[in-house]
Amino acid sequence: MKFVINKQISRDSGRLGQLLIQRGEGAGQLQLRTPLLMQTTKGGSIPYLSGNVFEYVSKEQQPLLLQLTLSTMDQMAESLLQYPSGLSAYVGYPGYPNVLLFRDPCETTPSGGNDRDVVPLYTRHGKGSITAQRYMELMDSFAPDLYQGLCDADTNADSSKKRVQKSVDRTERFMDYCYEQHGKLDRLSKSTLLAPIVGGYSTYARTQSIKHARQQPANSFGGYVLEGFHTNGLSATHLEASKLLPIVKHCVTELDDEKPRMMCGAYTPLMILELVRLGVDMFDTSYAYCAAVNYKALTFNFELNDENGCPKQTPFLDITDDTLKEDFRPLVANCSCLACQKHTRAYVHHLYKTNELLGPILLMVHNLHHYMAFFETIHKSMASDKLSELAKLLNADSTADYSIAKNVKVINKAGMGKGFVSATN
Amino acid sequence: MSPSKIPPLTYKVVAECSVSKARAGLMTLRHSEVDTPVFMPVGTQGTLKGVLPDQLIEMNCQILLGNTYHLGMRPGIETLRRAGGLHSFMGWPRAILTDSGGFQMVSLLQLAEIDEHGVKFRSPFDNSECMLTPEHSIQIQNAIGADIMMQLDDVVKTTTTGPRVEEAMERTIRWVDRCIEAHARDDDQSLFPIVQGGLETPLRERCVSALIERRVRGFAVGGLSGGESKDDFWRMVHVCTDRLPRDKPRYLMGVGFAADLVVCVALGIDMFDCVFPTRTARFGCALVDRGQLNLKQQKYKHDMQPIDKECECSTCLRYTRSYLHHIATNESVSCSLLSVHNVAYQLRLMRGMREAVHRNEFPQFVRDFMARHFEGEPLPTWIREALAAVHIELPPDIVDEQAAAQS
Repeated sequence: MKFVINKQISRDSGRLGQLLIQRGEGAGQLQLRTPLLMQTTKGGSIPYLSGNVFEYVSKEQQPLLLQLTLSTMDQMAESLLQYPSGLSAYVGYPGYPNVLLFRDPCETTPSGGNDRDVVPLYTRHGKGSITAQRYMELMDSFAPDLYQGLCDADTNADSSKKRVQKSVDRTERFMDYCYEQHGKLDRLSKSTLLAPIVGGYSTYARTQSIKHARQQPANSFGGYVLEGFHTNGLSATHLEASKLLPIVKHCVTELDDEKPRMMCGAYTPLMILELVRLGVDMFDTSYAYCAAVNYKALTFNFELNDENGCPKQTPFLDITDDTLKEDFRPLVANCSCLACQKHTRAYVHHLYKTNELLGPILLMVHNLHHYMAFFETIHKSMASDKLSELAKLLNADSTADYSIAKNVKVINKAGMGKGFVSATN
Repeated sequence: MSPSKIPPLTYKVVAECSVSKARAGLMTLRHSEVDTPVFMPVGTQGTLKGVLPDQLIEMNCQILLGNTYHLGMRPGIETLRRAGGLHSFMGWPRAILTDSGGFQMVSLLQLAEIDEHGVKFRSPFDNSECMLTPEHSIQIQNAIGADIMMQLDDVVKTTTTGPRVEEAMERTIRWVDRCIEAHARDDDQSLFPIVQGGLETPLRERCVSALIERRVRGFAVGGLSGGESKDDFWRMVHVCTDRLPRDKPRYLMGVGFAADLVVCVALGIDMFDCVFPTRTARFGCALVDRGQLNLKQQKYKHDMQPIDKECECSTCLRYTRSYLHHIATNESVSCSLLSVHNVAYQLRLMRGMREAVHRNEFPQFVRDFMARHFEGEPLPTWIREALAAVHIELPPDIVDEQAAAQS
């Protein structure tokens, strides 16, 4: 993997770039534009959508990076060793590049269970413990295009100084092992390692974590994952900009410019714009999922120069609202997604009422389409140096709340049976 | 002729098997042409579980079934009217068939009481007492706007015997007249009567004779596939198809296991529906000619083949049994993936039968299918007898041959 910065408009307008990912012998390389929106998955699939249906969403889109997570795929490791065509093809997305992460950004990661030598891995079977050695064995089985190094990222804005320090110290130990093994393991010879940066909300701890990564030879890893700001799930939608942004800014200043910076989790669209401005390069679609699973359609307006648009759009449409019963309009007027082109609010509301699986499917179709279009607009506005206008548009209604609360009306809904997990606080 | 003067259902036999009663036909409805014999996937509440209308069209599904009872409850008749009917409400441009709601009353509800007036039951939502009459059923079905509607029939358990069966049959005939009388959209929707009569040949014969006197565009055979012996099952189908007019479509309600479909097509049935393909998908099962694969079983954990190499559905083109094993019943997308495959399987089986009838090779199709389906196991006697009744002889069981060779 290579990272190229195409354009850095000014210090606070973010940077446009490209991730170049080699596709095997003679297959050329894929170019992914940054700021990049990774496709969040569960068990290897984009939540609720088959590969076939996802293609209805992604038609004519740019190549996409699959964001896979060990916590939803751990049981597949053994099978992957026997599968000849690679990780992405196995999960139904042949030709897509992938990145394998540790935790599922869609669900709250429980706190605790950390130890000097192990990191807790929460899967649908409950809590497991994983050593650095086991972690690298698993990475070797999965053979992803990109993967993150093991880290203790169990911190948030409320973490004690001691907890933060432990997360930094343990991550260093884990990473020493990962750096060492990365070059040795056969199936990882074409994979790119991403260095986790931890340290909660302490600039001191962040500096220490960054220093450890930057001490490594420059070619031993290909990018950074900024971890430890939240514990995934809906918590990421509730972060305070005034606490988060100074820390991210501090990190970015200390990181080298040549490597991409990833931040995972359901950050609100407003926060995404601020993070882009600070120079973060990679995000994911967990926000679209967290909204869909709580029966919220994304409706925020990001159309700059939209003559007939209504800038006062609310961030969401709550599908559980009974006033939609006979609302035969699309989820969002003029939206070109399949859900809006062919279905109505009344129908999606009916699917909610009857607990039908097609409800969350249509919401995912719409929310992904909406969120991907938002990222297109981010690119365009960066290229024309209008990122701050976009932020102004999203902020037009200062009372708009982009955070996502658990919708208590939909517990055990979303067409899921036993074993299906849903986003929790 | 103005479009409204074209009947809302025309049916034409396109090819007939020269041996059995199987036939291939073309049914033209307001929303779609339908090639028969056809399997109709069940979209109970205005959606086929986890599958988009566009995917169904991609699979060349031409007609869906909706359940009147469920749709009448939610979203309700007023909402459906304002939406302009179910087609528009659910975004499905092709044909729809609705049942009468009577079957759900009797099967789902504890407090259903039937008298000459209709079916009395308690609403599961507000516990109020409701009455579904033939007129009310038609009123709801007119609001749903399905291309084909069913009369309200007096449903008794398939295994019921004695005078209640005859009473139900006679009442069903009386009710069809009330349904025809109440039907307000005969220019757009076709009403099918339902042949009842339990497992008694004379009652079935009497019922058919009475129903074919009515001005209707097709017929349903009801009261089967509810726990009766297979021997009774096929004989009742046989009796009905012998007497139903050749030039109208025949719908056998609630039948959808592959072997039953093949036998009943041989007996002259044109339309089928069943929840089985989508229900079994939710439990992690995939349909194949041999029966079904329970993908949760450990033996599929490292099985890198598609569910079925011959299958061209979007699931088989993309996913291995191994991957499906890992996500089945765990990730909700598995329900969509297996539903797509299972519906595609049913549609492909029906297409295979239609093509075989067109080529006049249907008996060979049946022999090949049964050989694959039972693969070395002895063939059930009822299948052998049912097919023999329409002159399709199956080779002796291979198991028997081996036993004979040894003795």
